[in-house]
Amino acid sequence: MLFRLTPYLLVLPLMSFIAVFTYIPIAASINLSFREWDFLSPTMPFVGLENYRLLLSSHEFWNSVRVTALFAVISVPIRLGLALMVASYLVRETLPSRLLRGALFLPSVTSTVSIAVVFSWMFATDYGMVNAFLVSLGLGRVPWLQDPQLALWVVIVVNTWKQLGYDIVIYIAGLQAVPQELYDAAAVDGGRKAHVFRRVTVPLVMPTTYFLLVVSVIEAFQIFTIVDVMTKGGPAGATDMLVNMLYRVGFTLFDIGQGSALAVLLFILLIALALFKSRVLGRRIHYEA
Amino acid sequence: MKPDETRPGNRILTWLALAGGLLFLFPALYSIFMSFQTVDAYYTGTLDFTLENYQLAIGQFHFARYLFNSLIVSGTVTVMGLAFATMAAFAFARFRFAGGNLLFAAVVATLMIPSHISLIPNYLSLARVGLLDTYAGLILPAISNGFAAFFLRQYIRGIPVALDEAAYMDGATPLQVLWRVIVPIARPAIFSMGLFIFISEWNSYIWPLVAVGDEDLYTLQVGLARLYKVNPGEDVVNWPLVMAASTITILPILLGFIFVERHLVRGITMGAVK
Repeated sequence: MLFRLTPYLLVLPLMSFIAVFTYIPIAASINLSFREWDFLSPTMPFVGLENYRLLLSSHEFWNSVRVTALFAVISVPIRLGLALMVASYLVRETLPSRLLRGALFLPSVTSTVSIAVVFSWMFATDYGMVNAFLVSLGLGRVPWLQDPQLALWVVIVVNTWKQLGYDIVIYIAGLQAVPQELYDAAAVDGGRKAHVFRRVTVPLVMPTTYFLLVVSVIEAFQIFTIVDVMTKGGPAGATDMLVNMLYRVGFTLFDIGQGSALAVLLFILLIALALFKSRVLGRRIHYEA
Repeated sequence: MKPDETRPGNRILTWLALAGGLLFLFPALYSIFMSFQTVDAYYTGTLDFTLENYQLAIGQFHFARYLFNSLIVSGTVTVMGLAFATMAAFAFARFRFAGGNLLFAAVVATLMIPSHISLIPNYLSLARVGLLDTYAGLILPAISNGFAAFFLRQYIRGIPVALDEAAYMDGATPLQVLWRVIVPIARPAIFSMGLFIFISEWNSYIWPLVAVGDEDLYTLQVGLARLYKVNPGEDVVNWPLVMAASTITILPILLGFIFVERHLVRGITMGAVK
């Protein structure tokens, strides 16, 4: 009897925490998104789709959608392209390659807040390292984080610097699964390096690329910390990502209804992407033993 | 492939790789360097080193307190997260029980669920039971880790069942089998997951930002962001002080990283490729 209860007792702690802090909140978010509440008033009247209507007709929301999508569309290909090129050089198990891998991987386990603070200094207008370098070349100071045209690019650079090592490590795992004979054959056929890269490496790591593509797009849509520390979404909304808007609406304006509506919309988008990932990746065959 | 470090030209390659790595890490390395500079030396570009920034950060700006908070929160989340994930993983890997597949699917599905959806509801429910501004409020929502449970379940399935059966023959209970047979064999996987959980929790920012208003409960991440954004009584950011605080924030992970890089990389790639 006790034996039959055992599995239930073993999964009980994990399942109850998942229920309380993951699944019930999803239902709660959907419920709150149909209500109007400021966290203080004693009632929370049902307002139907009003929060969604307000959100979808606000300039702020569409600006966030545009900025976040732009961030994803620019930063993901840069990350993956750079990572694959670097990974194809670091795939061999030699000392230099291991050292470099370690160095490149380090930022991905480092505090994002620290990284954002350090790069705020790098790109500071007056005492920053980047401008000091430009001045030493005889060029002028650039207001990196104050210029709406440039701030998003700085966010992209910082995010790439942080995530690149992770992408490289995943690509290396993918590359190591590619049979060495294919490279040998290409070398015998006299393939030049760039040619081998394009015709052998790129097609064979396609499964890894799909994986990284979807994972990093999902991640890109959830960016928050770098922006919160470096720009607060500014200047003039130029870096205002969806989660930064969610934080502002929910926790500084205390508009619980609209914040929840925003959370639900983002949730639907990300779940769609995740399902797309498991459908596509589920059908892909991995090139591994 | 054989390691070929001894071939001619490879020593140069090693140095080049080292230089490349240092160049890449330059922003981080320079921030550590700057944290030992006096403020005057920083602004005038002279060399004058001091520990004053650390004394200020630890004392006046409470970073000793934040460090302690981060250790408590990340440590507790890691230990409890691992315990819950290992128990569930053992059940999912070794027992066939009604509803088991459905429950496992519910665990796997959490890997797809973005955490921001629970931000507002978790804030509201913890406020209702009075757990905002407590360690429990920081810890509880972070404990369940679907990825760790999934990963460990896959790992445990690779362990021969004959080992369990032999132990049951000898009269062991399921908990004894888990503790005496499974856990010792799965130790590398559990260790990798522990690192993974600890690092994610150490670096987590948005939940501690939301859940805590009391400065005494700030984690390092929240404390550092505040110190940088609110520079008390000054027009200009005190960069050497901020960099000392930043160094305190990354140091534990940085030191640990040197010893555990291999485990970490293995955990991450196994999770991605499988």
